[in-house]
Amino acid sequence: MIATHALAAAGGNSPSIPAPHIEYGQLSPMLVVFGAALVGILAEAFLPRRLRAATQLGISLAGLVGGFVAVVVLAAQGHASTRAGLLAMGSVAIDGPALFLQGVILLTAVLAVLTYAEGRLEPRINGHRIDAFAAQAAAVPGGEQEREATREGLRTTEIYPLTLFAVGGMLLFPASNDLLTMFVALEVLSLPLYLMCAIARRRRLLSQEAAVKYFLLGAFASAFFLFGTALLYGYAGSLRLGEIADVVSGVAPVTPALAVTTQNDALLLIGLAMVSVGLLFKVGAVPFHSWTPDVYQGAPTPVTGFMAAATKTAAFGALLRLFYVAFPGIRWDWRPVMWGVAILTMVVGSILAVTQQDVKRLLAYSSIAHAGFILTGLIATDRRGVAAVLFYLLAYSFVTLGAFAVVTLVRDSKGEATHLSSWAGLGRRSPLLAAVFALFLLAFAGIPLTSGFTGKFAVFQAAAGGGAAPLVIVGVLSSAIAAFFYIRVIVLMFFSDPQPSGPAVAVPSALTATTIAFGVLVTLGLGLLPQYFLDLATKASIFIR
Amino acid sequence: MSYLLSATCAVPAVGAVVTAALPAGTGEARRRTTKAVALGFSVATLGLAAAIAASFQPGGARYQLTESYSWIRSFGIDFSLGADGIGTVLALLTAVLVPLVMLAGWHDADPSAPEGTFESKRRTQGFFALILAVEAMVLVSFLATDVFVFYVFFEAMLIPMYFLIGGFGDRAGGPDSARQRSYAAVKFLLYNLLGGLVMLAAVIGLYVVASDQGLATFSLPALTDAISSGKLVIDPTAQRALFLGFFFAFAVKAPLWPLHTWLPKAMGESTAGTAVLITAVVDKVGTFAMLRFCLGLFPDASKTFAPAILVLSLIGIVYGALVAIGQKDIKRLVAYASISHFGFIIMGIFAMTSQGQSGATLYMVNHGISTAAWMLVAGFLISRRGSRLIADYGGVQKVAPVLAGTFLIGGLATLSLPGLAPFVSEFLVLVGTFTRYPVIGIIATFGIVLAALYSLMLYQRTMTGPVKASVTGMPDLKARELAVVAPLVALTVLLGVYPQPLTRMVDPAVNDTLSQIHRTDPAPAHPVAATTGGEQK
Amino acid sequence: MHLAYPAVLAVLLFSVGVYGVLARRNVILVLMSVELMLNAVNLNLVAFDVWLRDTLHAGQALTLFTITVAAAEIGLGLAIVLLVYRTRRTAAVDRVTALGDRHEADDPADAAEEKEQAAA
Repeated sequence: MIATHALAAAGGNSPSIPAPHIEYGQLSPMLVVFGAALVGILAEAFLPRRLRAATQLGISLAGLVGGFVAVVVLAAQGHASTRAGLLAMGSVAIDGPALFLQGVILLTAVLAVLTYAEGRLEPRINGHRIDAFAAQAAAVPGGEQEREATREGLRTTEIYPLTLFAVGGMLLFPASNDLLTMFVALEVLSLPLYLMCAIARRRRLLSQEAAVKYFLLGAFASAFFLFGTALLYGYAGSLRLGEIADVVSGVAPVTPALAVTTQNDALLLIGLAMVSVGLLFKVGAVPFHSWTPDVYQGAPTPVTGFMAAATKTAAFGALLRLFYVAFPGIRWDWRPVMWGVAILTMVVGSILAVTQQDVKRLLAYSSIAHAGFILTGLIATDRRGVAAVLFYLLAYSFVTLGAFAVVTLVRDSKGEATHLSSWAGLGRRSPLLAAVFALFLLAFAGIPLTSGFTGKFAVFQAAAGGGAAPLVIVGVLSSAIAAFFYIRVIVLMFFSDPQPSGPAVAVPSALTATTIAFGVLVTLGLGLLPQYFLDLATKASIFIR
Repeated sequence: MSYLLSATCAVPAVGAVVTAALPAGTGEARRRTTKAVALGFSVATLGLAAAIAASFQPGGARYQLTESYSWIRSFGIDFSLGADGIGTVLALLTAVLVPLVMLAGWHDADPSAPEGTFESKRRTQGFFALILAVEAMVLVSFLATDVFVFYVFFEAMLIPMYFLIGGFGDRAGGPDSARQRSYAAVKFLLYNLLGGLVMLAAVIGLYVVASDQGLATFSLPALTDAISSGKLVIDPTAQRALFLGFFFAFAVKAPLWPLHTWLPKAMGESTAGTAVLITAVVDKVGTFAMLRFCLGLFPDASKTFAPAILVLSLIGIVYGALVAIGQKDIKRLVAYASISHFGFIIMGIFAMTSQGQSGATLYMVNHGISTAAWMLVAGFLISRRGSRLIADYGGVQKVAPVLAGTFLIGGLATLSLPGLAPFVSEFLVLVGTFTRYPVIGIIATFGIVLAALYSLMLYQRTMTGPVKASVTGMPDLKARELAVVAPLVALTVLLGVYPQPLTRMVDPAVNDTLSQIHRTDPAPAHPVAATTGGEQK
Repeated sequence: MHLAYPAVLAVLLFSVGVYGVLARRNVILVLMSVELMLNAVNLNLVAFDVWLRDTLHAGQALTLFTITVAAAEIGLGLAIVLLVYRTRRTAAVDRVTALGDRHEADDPADAAEEKEQAAA
C-alpha cells in the first residue's frame, strides 16, 4: 500500500479557509513594537529632517516601553504561569520563558536606543549634533556626497525603525511555537541587523565589511535552519513544536504516509542538527562563531551592544524552546552533541580572547565564552536549567550593554579608541569610568557579589544537578582562563602608564549615562540581592506545549 | 538574636564606603581627616570584636551569637554568622592588626609617596577604603557559618587586596617598580582566583550531593552535623574530589608549598602594611578554612590525605626556611619565613591531635602578631633608607637603638624563643605532630634551627657591625611608629607567658572539630606529650 | 513518484549551494548559491507536503514564506554588496579582509582608515 502511494494522488481541496482566531491582547507586546516601527517609517517619510531624530527617539522609546508595560501586564494577569497558552492558532506560545525573555529584550532595547541617540560624543559639525551612525549610509566613504551630507548634519535616523523591527523579531523568536514562525522571526530580527551593522559613521569600510560577513554567514546559516525545518517537517508531518514532540515520542496517530517518514531517523537527526546549526550560529557558539568578533568589531558600537545583548537573549530563548518543547524525547541523542559544543565554546572563546588587542573583539570572544556557559545550563534539561539560563541572560544582557556603552566613551581623534594599548592608564585619567568598566569586567569574570557570579553559579549548579559535573569542571577552568584576560584589561587601565597621545574620555549626556548607570545597578543588584529575580526566573521556567 | 556579629562586619564595610566617598583633595588637612575617619572605623571594629570575645562563653555552644538572614532562598543560602572559639580569636586578631596597619601606613598613600597609579587626588581615600574593605570581608569569612557566604567573601576579598598590592608600593621600588607591582598583583590574583574557581566547583558539587539527599542547604552546622551523624553520606570518591577542591583553594591562599610562589612577590612589592595584611590576616583565612571546612565537611577524606599534606607542609617548613636564609631582600626574607611558619600551622591542623590543632590556632594568632611586628619594623627601616636590600644596612643599632631593639624582638619571636608567644604554639604543634607522626615531628624540629639562622643572620647583617655610611643619621622610631610597635611587642610577650585566655577559647572548638571527624588523641607514648597536654588543659 | 526522487534532488541542490557558498569568491555568486540552497528547501517542503497529504498544507505555506523572505534577503544583500562594491571596486569575498584576528599590534582599524583616506 505504501509503495503505491504516489505524489500524483495527493492534493485535496479544502472548501473554504476559516479565518484564524488571533488573541490580539496577548500578542500586544509584539504588536506594539511592530506598530511603532511602522509609525517610525511613516515619520521617516513625512517629517522634515530636523524633527526626525527627536521624533524617532520618542516613537522608539514609546513603542519599547509600551511593549514592556504590556509584558508586565500580561505577566501580572498570570499569562506567565496559570494562564499560559498557545496563541494565533498555536503558532505563538505565551508562557513564562517567553514573557521573561521578552521583558529582558525590551529593557535592553530601551537602553540600547538611549545610546543610539547620544549626540555629545562627537564634536558638532556646523552646529549639528551627530551620532554614531553615518550621515548618509548610501554615500561612498570619503566621497563628495558624504562630505556634503556631513556638512549638512544629516543623520541616519532609519536606525530607529530598523531597531524596532529587529526587536519585534526578537520578541517573536523565543515565543514561536512552530518552525515557520521561528523562521520568520529569525529573518525579521536578522535582516535589520545586517543593515544596522553597515552604517557606522567612523571606519565605514570596517562597518560595511562587517555587514557583508554577517549577511553572508547569516544567510548561509538560515538556509541550514530552513533545510533542517524541511526535514523535520518531512519526519513529523507538522511544523508545530508540540506535534513534533508527539511524533518523536510516538504518541501521535500515524498515517500511512507518516509511517514511511517516521521510520527514517536520519530525517529527524539531520533535521535537528541543521536547525540547531542555524540557532547556534545566532548564539555565537563554536564552531559557528567565526562571524562574532568581526561583526562586533566592525558594527557601530551602540549596535554591537544591542546585538550582543538582545540577539543572544532571543536566540537562546528559541534554542531552549526547541530543545525543551520539541525534542525532550531524544535528549539522549542531542545532549552529547551539545556537551561537545558547550565545551568547545567555553574553551575556544576563553583561549582566543587572551590574544586579542581590540576591546570590541575581546568582548566578542568573551560573549562566545559566555554562550558556552549558558549552554551548560541548557544541557541540564530540567526546570532548574531553564531558570538558570533565564537568569543568566538577564544578568549578561545588562553587563554587556553597559560595557559597550563604556567603549563608546573612550575616544581619540579617529573616533572610538578600541585598541587595548590606548586604554592604558585610563584609571588614572578618569578613575570613575575605569572603575565602572572594571566592575563590568569583574562581572564577566564571575567574581562574587556581581551578577555574573550569581548567573554562573546558577547555571553550573543546574548543570551539576543534571548530571553534567565534567561540564562544570571545564566551565570552571575556562572561567579561570577568561579571568586572565579580564584582569589583563584591569591591569592595563589601573597599573600602566597612560600614553602621551592617548584617548580622552568624552563626557556623555544623560542618555548614555542612564544606560551605564542601569548596567551598574543591575550588575550589583543581581550580585547582592538576586533572590527576587531568581524567583521570577524560577516561576517563569515552565514551557507550555 | 544579637546583632553584634553583623555589626562587627558592617562597621568596616560602611567605613570603606564612607572613606571612599570623602571629599577628594590634596591638602594635608583633608588627608588627615580621611585617615582619622578610617582609623576611627577600624578602632570601632576593634571595640566590637573585643565585645564578641568578651561575651563569648568558652564552655557554651559551638557557635554563639548566631544570626541568620535569608539571602538567596533558591539555593538554600542564608547570610548566617556565628562565632566559635577559633573564629572569634582570629576575628580579634584581625581587628587588632588593622588599626596598627593603618597607623604604620599613615603616609604610604600620600602624594609624596612614590608615583602611584591612582589619581593622586583620591589616593588616600582609596588606600584606606581598600584596607577597610579587606577587613570587612575577612571578618565575614571568619564568622560565616554558611559555606556559600564564606566562599563569596573569601573570593571577593581578592579584589580590594589586588588593588592594594598593585596600586601602592613602598619607597624602595626601583625604576620599574610599577611594572613589578602590577605583575605581583596579577600573580596574586590569578593564583587565588584559580584556587577559588576550583573551590566553586566543589561548593556546587557539595550542594548537589547534599540536596540529592534532601539537605538543600549551605549551612555549615547543619551539614557537619548530618555528616558526623551519618545522615548525609558522601561516597568516598566524591568526598575526596570535593575535599581536594576545597583544599586547593585554601592551600593556595595559606600558602602551602608548592603553591606559594605568589606570596614573596606580593609581599615584596607591596607596602609593609599591605604585606602584613596579606600574611597575617588574609592568609589566615586559608588555614582557618582548612580547619573549619575541610575537616568538618570531609572527615574521611581529610584522614586519607593527611599524610600527604603533612609531607607537603614539612617540605614547606624546610624549604621556606632555607630560601629565607639565602634572601638578599628583607621583605622577601620575611615572606619566606612566613611560608615556613604556614607549614607548621598546616602540619598542626592535619596532625589531627588536640595539641596540634590548638597549637595551630594559637600559631595563627601568634604568627600574625609577631610577623606584623617584624614586618612593620622592617617597613620603618626600609622607609628610612629607601632600599629593601639587606646589604644596604649595617650597624643600625648604634644609630637607632629602639628600632633595632624592636626588630630583634620580632626576629626572636619568629624563631620561637621561649617566653615569647610563638614558642608555645610551635611547641604544641610539634608535640601534637610527634604523638602521631614521630618522624615528621623530628624533621620539623629542624625548622626551628633554620629559623634561628635566618632571623639572627638578618639582625646581625643589618643592625650590628660598623655603621654604614648610608645609615648614619638615621632617625629612631617616631611616636606614631612606637604606637604601632608597642602593642605588638606587648602582646608577643604577654601571650608568651600567659596564653591561657586564648587556649581557653580555642580548646573547646578544637575538641569539637576532632570529635566531628571521630579522631581521638593517640595514647601518650611519650611522657613529655602527656604532661604538656595536661598543662594546657 | 516516490518521495525519494524529489528528496534526493533537493539534497543535491542544497549541496551544490553549499559548495558554491564555500568555493565562490564573487559575492553575487555566493548570494546565488544561497538562493539555490533555499530553493532546495522549497522543493523539499512541497514534496513532503504532497507526500504527507497535509490538510493544513503547512509545507506549502512555509514555501510561500521562504520565497518571500528570500526575495527580501536578496534585496538587502544586494544593497550591502553594492555599498561595498562602490567603495572598493571589488565584489570578491577574499579581498574584504580588513577585519580579522591579527597577531600583532598593527591595528586593522587604522589600516582600513588609511585606505579610506587614500580612497577619498
